[in-house]
Order: sequence, then C-alpha cells, then structure tokens
Amino acid sequence: MAGREIRLDAHRITEEPYYLPLGDEIRIAEVSHRCGIPLLLKGPTGCGKTRFMQYLAWRLDRPLITVSCHDDLSTSDLVGRYLIRAGEAVWMDGPLTLAVRAGAICYLDEVVEARKDTTVVIHPLADDRRELPIEKRGELLGAPPEFMLAVSYNPGYQSVLKDLKPSTRQRFVALNFDYPDPEREAEIVEREGGIAPEMARQLVRLAGMTRSLKDSGLAEGASTRLLIQAGKLVARGIPVRRACHVAVTQALSDDPELLAAIDEMVSSLF
Amino acid sequence: MTTSALRYQPLGINALKERFFSLVAPDLPNEWEVEEAMEELTDADPALVDEILSQVPAIWPVSNSLCYNYLGQALHALSCFPAAELGGWVNETLDRYEKGGLQAAQRFMTNVEQEFVCRLRGIAGLRFDEVRGRLLPYIRGLSGRELDLAPAARACTDGDTIFLPHKISMARDGEQNFLLYKFTASFQWAFLEQGTFFPDSPLLPETGEEAAGQLALALFFDSLAQPELAADLYLQLESIRARAFLGRELPGLVRETVDLLPDPLCRQETGRVARLLIALQCCCLTGEPDGVGLPGVEDSDLRHLLQPEATAAHSLALCRRLYTRLCGQVGEYHSPEPLFFQGTMRLDLVAAARSRRRQELGERFVDALTTALLTLPPSSGGPEEKKRPEGAGAAGTEVPDVALILDGDGKGGEEAEQSAFLRVDNEQVVMDEELEHLGRQVIDEFGFLPPRFVSSAAGRAGRAMAAGDVGASVGEQPLVAPVTYDEWDHRRGGFRKSWCIMTEKEIPVTRSTFITATLARYRGQIIRLRNQFEMMRTTERFLRRQRDGDDIDLDALVESLADSRAGLPPSDRLFVRLARDERDIAALFLVDMSNSTQGWVGTAIKEALVLICEAMEKVGDRYGIYGFSGMRRLRCETFHIKHLEEPYGETVRQRIGSIAPQEYTRMAPAIRHMTARFADVDARIRLLVILSDGKPEDYDDYKGEYAIEDTRHALLEARSAGIHPFCITIDHHAHEYMAHMYGTANSIFIDDVRKLPARMPEIYRVLTS
Repeated sequence: MAGREIRLDAHRITEEPYYLPLGDEIRIAEVSHRCGIPLLLKGPTGCGKTRFMQYLAWRLDRPLITVSCHDDLSTSDLVGRYLIRAGEAVWMDGPLTLAVRAGAICYLDEVVEARKDTTVVIHPLADDRRELPIEKRGELLGAPPEFMLAVSYNPGYQSVLKDLKPSTRQRFVALNFDYPDPEREAEIVEREGGIAPEMARQLVRLAGMTRSLKDSGLAEGASTRLLIQAGKLVARGIPVRRACHVAVTQALSDDPELLAAIDEMVSSLF
Repeated sequence: MTTSALRYQPLGINALKERFFSLVAPDLPNEWEVEEAMEELTDADPALVDEILSQVPAIWPVSNSLCYNYLGQALHALSCFPAAELGGWVNETLDRYEKGGLQAAQRFMTNVEQEFVCRLRGIAGLRFDEVRGRLLPYIRGLSGRELDLAPAARACTDGDTIFLPHKISMARDGEQNFLLYKFTASFQWAFLEQGTFFPDSPLLPETGEEAAGQLALALFFDSLAQPELAADLYLQLESIRARAFLGRELPGLVRETVDLLPDPLCRQETGRVARLLIALQCCCLTGEPDGVGLPGVEDSDLRHLLQPEATAAHSLALCRRLYTRLCGQVGEYHSPEPLFFQGTMRLDLVAAARSRRRQELGERFVDALTTALLTLPPSSGGPEEKKRPEGAGAAGTEVPDVALILDGDGKGGEEAEQSAFLRVDNEQVVMDEELEHLGRQVIDEFGFLPPRFVSSAAGRAGRAMAAGDVGASVGEQPLVAPVTYDEWDHRRGGFRKSWCIMTEKEIPVTRSTFITATLARYRGQIIRLRNQFEMMRTTERFLRRQRDGDDIDLDALVESLADSRAGLPPSDRLFVRLARDERDIAALFLVDMSNSTQGWVGTAIKEALVLICEAMEKVGDRYGIYGFSGMRRLRCETFHIKHLEEPYGETVRQRIGSIAPQEYTRMAPAIRHMTARFADVDARIRLLVILSDGKPEDYDDYKGEYAIEDTRHALLEARSAGIHPFCITIDHHAHEYMAHMYGTANSIFIDDVRKLPARMPEIYRVLTS
C-alpha cells in the first residue's frame, strides 16, 4: 500500500498550472465532476486539452493519472494484470484501476488511438454505474465520488479506423477546444514562452498563416504548443528564425515546398 | 595532347595555321585573315589551343566571321571559366548568333563575365517559374485566401492574382533575388490588404451598376485633366502606406530587403514633377517622410500615412491636394519608371477581376434563387407540385412574380436577422441560409441587390418548370436489371418512393495509350507506393513470450519451471497474445463522371485510379471501382469498372483508360447503389471513397439544398449500414457544403487537380492506418 501512495503522490499537482480560460469550460467541468459525469475533450493537437486537465486536477485537488493511448493498448494495460515474479503471480493495478481506487482523475489522452475493444472497458465506468469490473480477479470496483474519467481526441484526423463509437461517445459531456483567438493566444505564448508581447504576437501571426495552408496540403497548422516551444527557444537565446525553423517549420511538414513556404513566412515576420 | 601540355612550348603561327586549314578543309580561307585571328593563340598553352581549336568545326560552317571572332575571344574567355565549359559557351554563342546575328554573338562573347559566368555560378537572376512553387503557399498563407501568382512584364495585382515579373536579376545571388520576388509579392498583397483599389472617400463619384466595368477610382482619375499624374501620385502615396504596413506586419522581410532595393536617386530625371515623384519613391524605400518637400503638404501629413490608422482615403485626399498644385506645372507628363516592386496600378484588371467575381457570385445567387423558387412548398404557389403545364408550348408562360427583400446589413441586431424574405406572388417565404448568405454577399459586393438577378432566376424557374421529363435514353446495354432507389426530400422530411431508376452499365472500352503513358510517367512513384502499401500488409498473428496476454505460453512456462528447478532465474515472459491487426478492409471507389470532369480533371482522376490500383494490389485490400453519371431521376447510371473481387488486369486497366465525361452529378442514387453493393460484403471495415469535382446537381430541379440534403441522407444511410464514406473533392466552393454533407473529418479538398494522382494513394493510406 505504501508503494501505491508514493505512486499516487507523484500524480498530484501541487502548483497551479497556467491556464487561461476561454469560456465556461472550467465551470462545466467542475459541475460534471460533482455530478459524476465523464468528460470528453475534443480539439486539435496542442490547443491546451492536457493543460486544461492539469488545471482541473489542481483545482479539484485530485491526482491526475494520464494514459497516452496507442493502438497496442490492451485492456490489461488499463485495468491491471498478473505478473509472474519469482515464480509467484502478483497482481498489478493498471492506471485506470489505480485511479478508481484512489478517487483520482483518469485522463485517457487520444482515446481513439486505442483499440476499440479496449475503449469498451470504460463503458461501465462512464455511465451511472460508475464501476470497474476486474475480470481476472473477479472483482467489481465501485468508483468513489471524487473519481473522474476524462478522455480526449482530435476530430481532425481523417482515419476511418480512428473514430469513437456512438456508444462510447454518448456517455460523456463534451467540451470542444480550439486554438484561442489571436489576442489570448499571444497572451498564452507570452506567458508560457517567457517572451516579449510583440514577439508573441508575431508568433501567433505565423501560426495563423500556417493554419490557412490547409488547402495547400498542410494537414494541421502550427499549434499553440509549437508556438510556446518556439518562444522558449527564443527566450533562451536561440535566434528567432532558427527557433521557428526547428520548432515550427520542421515540425509541421516534410514537403519541401511547404517547408520553404513556411520558412519564407518566418523570415518575413521576424 | 597531354605530353605537349607538360612541355608547354608555344606552337608557333605556322603550325597553328596548318591545324586550322586542316580543320576547315576543303574550304580555303584567306591566309592573312587566319593569321590575324590566330595571333592571340601563338603564345598560348598548346593544351588550351587544342581545346579552342576543337570547337572550330562547329562554328566554321555556321559563320566564318563568327569563327574568326571566336578565335580572338576564346583565350580571354578561358581565363574566366574552366575549359570544360567551353562547349557550353560555344553553343550559347551559336544560339545568340542564330537569334540575334553576328553582333549579338559578339556582344555575348565579349561580356563573358556577365553573360555566361554569372549563370554558371547560378546568379544570373531568378525566373518566375523557379519561385512560384515556393511563393504560392507563402502568399496564400499570408493572405489566408486563394490568391494566385502569374508572370507579367511588371508587378501588379487584380485582387485575385498577383502578377510578378518574369525574371528578377537585380541582386547578386539567387537567394537575394528570391527575396526581391518575395518582397514584390508581399508588397502587392499589402495593396490588397490595405484597400488601395477601393478607397472609401467622398472624393470618388458614386457608381451605379452601369459603371460596374470600371472602378470608382478609375473614374475619378479620368475626370482629371492629367489622369496619369494623379494615378502616379496616388500610387506613390499608397506605396508609402504599404511600406509602413509591411514594416509593421512583416518586419523581418522589410529589414532584409531594404538594402537590396535599388536607389531611385541614381536616376537622372529632369523636371520638377518627376523629381518629386522620385522623392516620394525614396520616402517609400526609407520609410522616412522628412524633407520630401511636397508643395502645399506638410511633412506631418505625409507622416500620417505611416500610421496604422491611415486609410486609402487619406492618400486620395493628399493626392488630390498635390495634384491641384502640380497639374498646371507640367506640360506633357511622362511617368517616371516605377520601383519594380510597386509595379503598376492596373485598375482595369482590378475592375475585370471584380466583374468576374461578381458574375460568378451572381450566377451562384441566381442558381440558388432558382432552386429556391423551384422547390417552394406548394402552398406558397411554388411550381413544384403545382399544375404542370399539360399541353405543349406552355414554356415560359408561368414566370412567378418574385421579389427578394433583404434589409439591414446585420447592423439592426435581432430585427435584422428576420429581415430576409422571398416574396413570391405576394406571399412571403423565409429564405434558407445558403440563399440568404449569398444574398448578403451580393449586397456586400454590389452595394444593392441587382433586380436582374431576381428576374432571371424567376424566368429560369418558370422555364424549368415548363420543360417536361426527358425519357430514358437508349444507350449501352445495362449489365443488370435497373434498380429503383428512394430519394430523400428534406422539405417533407420523407422519401420519395422508388424515385430514381439506376442502371449499371459497362463502359465501352476504347483503346488508348493512356495506361502505358501513366505507368511510365509515375514509374518511380508507383514503386515507392508499392513499398509503402506493402508495409501496411499485416495479418493476425500470435506474439509469444509476452509479459502479459490472453493465454499462457506453455513452452515458456515449461522452460521457466525447468529454469527455476535448476536454480536459474525464471523468465516472466510467459504469455501469448493475439495481435489482431489484420486488415479486413473492402473499399469501393466511386468516381464522378459528370460533364464537368472534361479535360484535366478527368485525366487526373484516371491517373489517380491507376496509381491507387497499383498500390492496392500490394496491400491486398479488396476494392472495386465504379463511375457514376446520368440525367434526371429516370436515368441514373453507374458504370462498372472493377468489381470488388475482380482481379486487376488488362481489362480493368482498359476500362479505367476509357472513363470519359458523361452527363450530370446526381450523386445520391449512386451512393445508395454502392451501399446496396456493399450489403453482402463481409469486411471489418467497408470504405466508400467518392472522387468528385463539384456539388451534386442534375438537369432538372435537383440542385442546391435539395440535392445536398438528399446526398447527405444517402451518406447517412451508408453510414448506418456500417460503411465509412469519404470524399475527395477538387471543387473550390466545396467548403460551403462538404462539412455539412460528409462531416468535417470525412472529406478532403485538393486545391490543385494535378496533385490528385499523388495525393490519392496517400489519403487512402492515412485513412486506413
């Protein structure tokens, strides 16, 4: 048990994470938590979904257990498994079980990446039953009121294999996230990147330009996260063009023409 | 040859002459002429002389005098570039001779450095087509819209396209020349962005629709005695504003470019006005208005143009003041050479582009309105279910009396939202969103709603109503018996039962070299695609010796027990896991064969199909290809190209090659037909990829919202049957309806049809992995 406590403490967020609310999302999330309704966060990559969860965990004073989903994620990766140690079978809780036991917030990042049969385990947890059956142990774990389940996904990915089943998605309160408006985005980049307001505004302008390249073949424009990363490099003395090249241009595409075009935007702006 | 190079003993004039005569035999040139030409070479390194003389047989037959000239210049030329380039230089010389005569060739030979060596180092300037690929996404990103780039003698823009010079060679190297290109494009964009061509100024005359072919600005200039002078002044003032704008928006670009720009002061211009314009150009370059010394204009007025809040109206007012002071002082006015990035102000082009835009908008509006009228519910006197003209010759008799009321340009708050009405035969009908949106666009663009739009829509609606159904055409033999499908009518929220008759036909095969040409053209790409797709090929398999899994790996367990008995540390990898990443995918490709795919579009679609087939053969997914077209509900057609289980062979290839544009785009019945085809296909994922070039549309009133809603419903039916529809479109107006029809993530727009063949397999790969 002691070991588990330590593991949980590592998930507790003690300092207030920076989060700039864009609407009433915090209130909605708090009310959902109180009512025991799970959350579904939609939005493009790097727009602040994960940060929002950290902030929420801090506000609710609950540990946050994040699972990044991938296509090999199996049910036992979430729930737990028997491991054989020195000839003995030892049960190990998975992150989801851990979170349920401790009344933490379990956040499944990019849930569509997980295999469909895996996402089904969260079903009984995500409706009013709020329980997690652990088949291998024959245990039915009830979730305490503090427990919250949150999942996120990016609806922009165009893969037929990666879509949420209606039966899954209809259990959630869904919050839609998008990149903030330029002013607030600049504020975020300025604060998080630690750079001057003017530089932040230019970075946001660059992001705006890349986001309008969608029809020219760029899958997704520069995210707020990319801008912050570029900003951090700049704040620590990397020349701004170089910083944008490595943090924005190269991160966005491999297509030589698009790379050149984005670099041209960078050199025009800075 | 090499041995003589080691010795380096000059050949002497006689030996040279002898060599020369042997080279040009049987001609017998004048001995003294040869001697004179060879003089330069007498002391030269024999190795070089050999190189030089080796070119003589190429030049002599073209022109004897050119050959003598060559002998005189060659040694100097070889001091500028390596001997290996001599052939290229001679070829270029001959080119010049053939194009421009002896003098041009001589000029070329004497200016070795500028004419030839520069290019060898890649710095003889940059051509438009070299920069377009890089600049186009740049300018689109910058502007956030579909601006185009095109070459022209001088930079200018018409609002839809930015024209750039064919070539820029001002700077020392390619990178800098590119920068100048980029600056020029950005500068023209600045004109558009700051509204140079449409100042909102009381000085401008009011323009009615009659003057639609001309800009108010052009009319204003024309009303003055010296329009060119006024236009030039205005361009200079706006350039100052544009430069300030760029300084604010794109500081990096301005900082880098400013040193490369030519200094207009070095030009000698006489006359007060010309000098003044040059002073303004200087101001534009430096962004520093002090000391320009404009008559009757304070420096502070000019300085105001640099502020973000300055508008085109300010420039125009200032232009007007300057013009009044100056117009008396010039006799005949000649425009000074503009700065290359300013280019010229082509108000005629702007006006033409605006008319084009307006016409397109007008057509779309009339279309939408026609559709709205045709699909009016019967109660409001709409023609749809109403007495169809029974007898012949009734066409055009029933033009409805239509008025469109659209007031309040969104300023009036809630009230304004209710102010869009369609009045038909004195009955008010609320307009649908698309029509209202278009109507507002029209008002934004024209300032009012031109009555001709409404009347022409009313007329068209009347005629369409009068025309009867076209009977089924006699064509190719249908493959299977025709099937009927329902059609969704969104107005009544129900189906029109057995409304469309779908026939599946065989494409008449024509022989062509299309397939071989495509295979050859995309050879490299196909090989790459095959590799990529082969990697996606996976099957169900057991992973042994895992730390966890569905079952115990008995072999591993036995081993571990044995190990443990033997006192060795036992392994903990004792499970087997079934990796179920089997690809059980069936895909149908549904190809738009409507009339509008004529030409490039059709070719690109066919090429895309060939590429995808080549790739699909590797991945092993089952796939079928069908085309669709038709006219009216009674003659919807799908064309069989490849059934799901049919092998991809010569016949299929020939059918792809024979795809040809047919008639209209009634998409929904084709989708329903595909859904029916999929019904008995057992696959984990069933994918329907639709390749289209535009909105669903048919000859009759199957248009606009009705068509989109029907198609959307057909897609919903497909989805509920467990099929994933996905659309690839090249329609530029696709944004407006695609998301609604397919859902945001289920469609993709390709802006350049030429990219389609390359993108399509890529899209399929992303879709299914």
